[in-house]
Amino acid sequence: MGSGDHAPEGIPASGAWPIHLEDVIVRYPNGVVGLRGVSLSIAAGEMVSVVGLSGSGKSTMIRTINGLVPATSGTVRVGPYTVNELGGRRLRQVRGGIGMIFQGFNLADRASIYHNVLVGRFSHTPTWKTLLGVASHTDREIVMRALDSVGMLEKVWGRAGALSGGQKQRVAIARALSQEPEVMLADEPVASLDPPTAHSVMSDLKRVNTERGLTVLVNLHLMDLARQYTTRMIGLRAGEVVYDGPASSATDADFEAIYGRPIQSRDTLGQ
Amino acid sequence: MIVVVLIAITVITTLPALGGVHIDLGAIARNWANGSERIAKLFHPDPSILPRTWKPLLETLEMAVVGAALSALLALPLSLWAARPSNPTRSRAGVRAVLNVVRAVPDLVYATILVAMVGVGALPGVITLVLFDLGIVVKLVSEAIDSADASYMEAGHAAGGTQTQINRLTALPQTWPVYASQVLYSLELNVRVSSILGLVGAGGLGRLIDEVRGFYRYGALSMIILEILVVVIAIEVASNYLRKRLR
Ligand SMILES: Nc1ncnc2c1ncn2[C@@H]1O[C@H](COP(=O)(O)OP(=O)(O)O)[C@@H](O)[C@H]1O
Ligand SMILES: [Mg+2]
Repeated sequence: MGSGDHAPEGIPASGAWPIHLEDVIVRYPNGVVGLRGVSLSIAAGEMVSVVGLSGSGKSTMIRTINGLVPATSGTVRVGPYTVNELGGRRLRQVRGGIGMIFQGFNLADRASIYHNVLVGRFSHTPTWKTLLGVASHTDREIVMRALDSVGMLEKVWGRAGALSGGQKQRVAIARALSQEPEVMLADEPVASLDPPTAHSVMSDLKRVNTERGLTVLVNLHLMDLARQYTTRMIGLRAGEVVYDGPASSATDADFEAIYGRPIQSRDTLGQ
Repeated sequence: MIVVVLIAITVITTLPALGGVHIDLGAIARNWANGSERIAKLFHPDPSILPRTWKPLLETLEMAVVGAALSALLALPLSLWAARPSNPTRSRAGVRAVLNVVRAVPDLVYATILVAMVGVGALPGVITLVLFDLGIVVKLVSEAIDSADASYMEAGHAAGGTQTQINRLTALPQTWPVYASQVLYSLELNVRVSSILGLVGAGGLGRLIDEVRGFYRYGALSMIILEILVVVIAIEVASNYLRKRLR
């Protein structure tokens, strides 16, 4: 990230997109219902956590937003697009504006870090150019800046598989940033990381929100991370929204209502 | 249990009443003297044939290398086409069906038909090897892609990539070691296969084998077999070495 494009804290980048879900129902082909009528609005530039037990529908919700999982009914609007009505080229175009990071990093381990981050340029590149293996000067520049902003520039020519978990997640963040996205989605981004690394990756995400002004939606299953890093929290239980309010002041009782059981020690990361 | 089944199958398939496989033990005894004499000759390799083997040996090796190289070129896109993660569309079934047919036909059948079509020589041999290699390499590589972790593809889709972009930039390097290893393996197989393709006129050492066998020169035959053995082992050692370095 160049030093010139820092936006002052709290002011969304001109490009950030809002997200609106209206009565979204997701029924998987095997009949399992992942979301049962979810409605919510996230303003451009907000940093929101989605908490809930495993199986509560967090991944389903985040995947519905970029169309990786199709909504069975309801409306999914991201910025100027109605995602659930799109397919093919238009859907790929919206996805280009939505960065995503995953619990398992989802890197091509045998490919170089450079090529993994170049994946973020797909939606801005004609397929034939990718086939020929030529990246434009601008694309290379963007990839290098994205890697620099997460402190991974010196490793650019190494194999992704040789990195530690925390380094892999930073590369995955760089991949998402190289899309120059308007929205950032994160599906349990720190669940596979040790506590210190988890905190530093959460800080990186926080910076994406404060410095670039992106709308950030992050799935978490740990209550202390949600309180510390996000401003608003959405609680999911069995595919329904059961909490929507400020994150830092959410009480233990609120969490018990979301989880549907008493708080346990594994619900927090600790320091 | 399995043993019982095997014995049962063997007995049933050899029952004369059922028109099964005839195993005539009497014939083995009657021909034994004849056969043992030939085996004895086989144990005395005749080095005088060696100078005549160099040219056909070189042709066999050329056929093996060219066949492996051509099939390697075709196998890469076909493998990506035949695997589910890299080709979620229905065209995958078509590619697989064609390859199953290609694999089902024995190599000597290809060689015989191709010799009739394009004439005697190395060309029908090379085409046979390409078909033979394609069947093997595409099957093994596409199955490796099917069973490998493909979570990176989800990231490619999430970033708005087309399947072709994802395959080119990420699936290719992920698949490369398996692919290169199978191509080397096909080269090994080619040396064995191409040395007998000459039996039906498809070039290489096979023609010489056919000739010396026709003249009952079993010493010369065993010399050629030894030569093939040495070359096959040399190629295997080299390709094992390369394959280890791929990991
Ligand atoms: N691809 C799928 N096919 C069928 N059911 C699924 C699929 N993905 C998730 N589910 C089901 O949907 C429900 C919500 O899952 P998920 O969104 O993954 O929850 P979370 O991310 O909160 O753990 C679960 O019951 C899960 O088993
Ligand atoms: Mg999940």
